[in-house]
Amino acid sequence: MATFVEQSINGLTIGSFYALVALGYSMVYGVMKLINFAHGDLFALGSYLGYTLLIAGSSWVTMHFGLWGGMTIAMLFAFVGVGLAGLLMERVAYRPVYPTGRLPLVVSALGMSIFLENGIMAIWGSRPQAYPAAVVPSTRFSILGLPVTSLQIVILLLSFTLMLVIWFIVEKTTFGAAIRATALDRSTATLMGIDVRVVIFFIFALGPALGGIAGVMNGMYYRAISFNMGWAYGLKAFTATILGGIGNIPGAMIGGILLGLMESLFAGYVSGAWKDVFVFVILIAVLIWRPTGLLGEKTAEKV
Amino acid sequence: MGITDSILKHAGSGRPSGKHPATFWSRNRGWLLLAITGALFAVYPFVPFISDYWIDVAFFVGIYALLGLSLNIVLGEVGLFDLGHTAFYAIGAYVTAILNTTLHVPIVVLLPLSAVVAGGFAYLVMSPVIHLKGDYLCIVTIGIGEIVRLTMINNPFNLTGGPNGINGIGSPNLFGLAVNSSTQFYFYTWIIIAVVVFGLVRLQRSRVGRAWNYIREDETAAEASGVDVRSYKLLAFVLGAALAGAAGNIYASKQMSISPGSFTFMESSLLFCIVLLGGLGSIPGSILGAAIVVVFPEVFRQFASYRLLFFGLALIVMMIFRPGGIWPRKREGAGLAGLGIQGLPRNEDDLILMGKPDASILKPATTDTVRGVRLPPMTVTMDEGMLLQTHGVTLKFGGLTAVNNFDLNVRAGKITSLIGPNGAGKTTLFNMITGIYKPTSGQIDFMGRDITTLKPHTIISYGIARTFQNIRLFPSLTCIENIMSGPHCHARSGTWAAVMHTVTEVREEREIVATAAYRLNQVGLWPYRDELARNLPYGKQRYLEIARALATAPHLLILDEPSSGLNDKESEDLMVLLQSLVKEGFTLLLIEHDMQVVMGISDWIAVMDMGQKIAEGLPRDVYNNQRVIEAYLGKEDD
Repeated sequence: MATFVEQSINGLTIGSFYALVALGYSMVYGVMKLINFAHGDLFALGSYLGYTLLIAGSSWVTMHFGLWGGMTIAMLFAFVGVGLAGLLMERVAYRPVYPTGRLPLVVSALGMSIFLENGIMAIWGSRPQAYPAAVVPSTRFSILGLPVTSLQIVILLLSFTLMLVIWFIVEKTTFGAAIRATALDRSTATLMGIDVRVVIFFIFALGPALGGIAGVMNGMYYRAISFNMGWAYGLKAFTATILGGIGNIPGAMIGGILLGLMESLFAGYVSGAWKDVFVFVILIAVLIWRPTGLLGEKTAEKV
Repeated sequence: MGITDSILKHAGSGRPSGKHPATFWSRNRGWLLLAITGALFAVYPFVPFISDYWIDVAFFVGIYALLGLSLNIVLGEVGLFDLGHTAFYAIGAYVTAILNTTLHVPIVVLLPLSAVVAGGFAYLVMSPVIHLKGDYLCIVTIGIGEIVRLTMINNPFNLTGGPNGINGIGSPNLFGLAVNSSTQFYFYTWIIIAVVVFGLVRLQRSRVGRAWNYIREDETAAEASGVDVRSYKLLAFVLGAALAGAAGNIYASKQMSISPGSFTFMESSLLFCIVLLGGLGSIPGSILGAAIVVVFPEVFRQFASYRLLFFGLALIVMMIFRPGGIWPRKREGAGLAGLGIQGLPRNEDDLILMGKPDASILKPATTDTVRGVRLPPMTVTMDEGMLLQTHGVTLKFGGLTAVNNFDLNVRAGKITSLIGPNGAGKTTLFNMITGIYKPTSGQIDFMGRDITTLKPHTIISYGIARTFQNIRLFPSLTCIENIMSGPHCHARSGTWAAVMHTVTEVREEREIVATAAYRLNQVGLWPYRDELARNLPYGKQRYLEIARALATAPHLLILDEPSSGLNDKESEDLMVLLQSLVKEGFTLLLIEHDMQVVMGISDWIAVMDMGQKIAEGLPRDVYNNQRVIEAYLGKEDD
């Protein structure tokens, strides 16, 4: 039972990273029909930006604003920084290629991913870095007998709040309707007076920025970060997106959480080495059973 | 004089084909280029300043060329997103390493064996998921790539050696000639590539290669034109995987040791880039793409850790400036010679005449066998010359009944029209007849056979062809290639026959192109044979689609709103063509909204509203039928 609780909390935490990254994936996919392979690397960039801010001037930020203040500032820094990187990426790598079709766009995304990964390595080096213990909140306590850390609670609360906010924006606001309309049919949306450029701007700023926050949280949770961590998270997030049904916002969240839970429980009970194999086998099985993911709509092609 | 005859007179009066005097160079360009390329490859290792290091680089270009060519089959020819192709490469390498180090099986024996195992593995894992679309298939291939890599790391049954991999793999030994040095491996690899390219070029220009392209261009249209989409997709994966497996064998024997680190997602994405950099479906492109991906980082070696940074940027820049790749396969203007079919008559008029329907064997049989293959027995008799009958056909989508208990009778040799308001369920009925939808209940009989549960590509080979409401052509293929999909379903030659150019295959190919030529000419599009279908104006695209359906030599031709989008003059021409088709012996079933056309040519009209048959009869009876008028114009209130 103890293993179960421990692994579940762990799984929820990892799952919320996946879910946040998957959200961005799904938003970008919905509007651009682009599998943004660079998305995971933006997540890694967020991790490094937060790290840089927190170690700057021997943890100046944490010393002046406290543990939680420092953490908040680091997240905002990563949010803004990665958001800007996302916008730049759209402008440089995707907008010029978009009109030429989907396959060149995939190659451009792969190129962007390689560029970012090696860019991070060029700046911060190829050796893993570690968030210093002094900047990470680590109070341990128990709620109803469940052993948790204050960091875990903050991660879970913040992730779920962010997901709710995004869900609200996309599903309940007029601007969200514009996003969904653009995702369904870009040219019709333009004809209806929606400024698609604004939608794309928003998507490419917010999607990666969410990943940036997840990157800082991930860095604080595991402490160690490395330049090539992005692709593993990107792949997991992509898996989560597909599992939930691509382009579907609640689907991405559920997919992410499910993935984190499955992975942790499998690692806890069966085998850590085979957990990723397990995840992919489940993914393939789900797709055989539901070819468009758990919450994906059946798209019957009109003939 | 019908439209057919008037067009036939103009046969061969295509656009002038730039008559330059043929020089030695222009006549033998292909062979000369081939000879020069071959000579360059042969000389390369012996150029004085080429060190062993650069010979090895050329070897690795070869490995990646082989991998690029293998992925090109799946991604380039069929358009399937495969981002886990490295899995098949890894399987080949590990089969070689394990069997060579434990059982000491010679490398040369393992070359074909690796290919077979990788191909078999692809068949097993792709069979259950081959129906997935686009990005869903993409993540599954990524997943398979990861599963294979992680399995190698986890060292099941102590077979794979875990993260360190396997050492001490032997070298190939060709009948006493050991392949050891860099130069020997260079020749060994590139000779294999030459053989592979020879086969792939032939395959590309064959019934199999075209079927792959039809699927890439429009899956539904391909299936409806008689291509067994599922089997051809699987075939592409199996062949692609087999080639990748062979590449794995060569790689393992050259490196003498392998480890999971060589088979990462990064490798798969590089292969993806190779195919896109070279140009989708382009054989020289894949080789060139491999050269770029391997040589680029080598050239920038002095920048050490920045070289991949530049490489990432270069990929983006390439896609901005050459999204179609460096050496795309050019199809338009390639002429009949570009189709790669042997022994065609020099005179184009002869080709068209050769395609006359009576002469061709590529058509469905009227008896119980099609070219030796037995059809299912007739379950009911064809009463009163009814070619097609639907008995109480019903289709429900969830709670909505789209077609309700519908009986349709199509008399042989006549024009039957199905009319009704928009949303009545007419197209849905057509989709059931052609096998795209399966009815919830009811039965469809064609020539006395129950075809209710058959797949679209089987139904078409029995002799039902169709066109679509919203034209579905193969946009980036030429007009003649579009129409060559018609006879596809009656031909039998497969991969091996295409590579070997067997006698039957060559004859079938000739008949396919002749049939296509005849039908293209019949609808007046012969001068456009070399143009891409997407560049035709709307009206001509309609004719092209009709010609494609005719090229299947159907007993029954189903046309879904053939006159929509045509102007009055074009509609009249269409009526003339349709009537000439009946004279030729076709039976026609159409959905049509243009009452001029319907009343002008129909022998029998069925009227559908809300999924039900509300009237049927001769045109003038239907025209005055009170219920029909109500369905179209609404009920008159008192």
